[in-house]
Amino acid sequence: MQIVCIIPAFNEETAVGRIVSEALKHCDKVLVVDDGSQDRTAEVSLQAGATVIRHILRLGTGGALSTGLTAALKTGCEILLTMDGDGQHRPEEIPILLDPIMKNEADVVIGSRIVRHPDAMPILKRMGNRALSIATSLAAGTKITDSQSGFRAYRREVLEYAIHKAWDYRWASEILVLTSKGNFRIKEVPITAVYLPKRRRGANIKDGFRILYSTIRGTHEKKGFTHGKP
Amino acid sequence: MAATGFGIIMLLFTTRELIRRRIGLLQYSLWMAVWVALILVGTVPQFYYTLTLVTQMLGMLTPIHFVTTFSILALFAATYILRKQIAELSEKVNKITQYIALMNTNNKKKNDSHS
Repeated sequence: MQIVCIIPAFNEETAVGRIVSEALKHCDKVLVVDDGSQDRTAEVSLQAGATVIRHILRLGTGGALSTGLTAALKTGCEILLTMDGDGQHRPEEIPILLDPIMKNEADVVIGSRIVRHPDAMPILKRMGNRALSIATSLAAGTKITDSQSGFRAYRREVLEYAIHKAWDYRWASEILVLTSKGNFRIKEVPITAVYLPKRRRGANIKDGFRILYSTIRGTHEKKGFTHGKP
Repeated sequence: MAATGFGIIMLLFTTRELIRRRIGLLQYSLWMAVWVALILVGTVPQFYYTLTLVTQMLGMLTPIHFVTTFSILALFAATYILRKQIAELSEKVNKITQYIALMNTNNKKKNDSHS
């Protein structure tokens, strides 16, 4: 089964090289979506062996993932994996995510930061994550403990059915709600999350309310986006 | 006097913008209405008092209340329209950025396969 790993990255020249090298040990191809970086993220990724797609303007995590997923689908791969480019996710744990799909136990696998070490997440982030996970679980009709995790694996059919429309952090919940409408199997596996002291990324309170609102409103549409098509 | 002068200057400026196709007809018409009203108030002060009728119909005390309230409401409407346009433009910019990124990747692949 051909496996493609998609890594959205913005100004991650220090971490992305190692992540790409490690991810290539478990995946056939790594696509780094350089989301308008001002540093050497693209060059470092290329040197490490990734295929790089560059945005001329920063679109955000959702936009970068959308680009990466669209490009990955064109490669004909069977499994798509997404992970952060800042070192929060450990590439060594990629096999843990792929296992349920390989065994035909799931169509979407989420690496949950909550299952193994619930207290490792900073408290405010944990509270927000819990609220959003509850809302996403209700909207998707299945229990999800970490709806905002970007470390995921998808069968190709899932993303042929739906790619998220949101350009911002709403993508995380949106794609889960969309896949649940297609009756795909969602499974969570425990992963280790690294919380870097200087990390300023991630959804903030404003993003949290935006995600909650769109999840409750349930305005997600199947295949609401045509990427790369004139 | 000041109102008339300002109104005439802005009228000429706005007309120049229309001739140079920097603004659309609808926008020109809206601003023309504002400048003409300003000129009228300056040259024909009695015009201001015709507003008294409208003011009384709306239950307001003086014409200036009507002008102030109407201006604020017009600004709210303009802000709403502008924000909507900005959101639409932002969406278009995002789509174009993504399209360019994917096209560049496709072109790069083609060039690599030819070489």
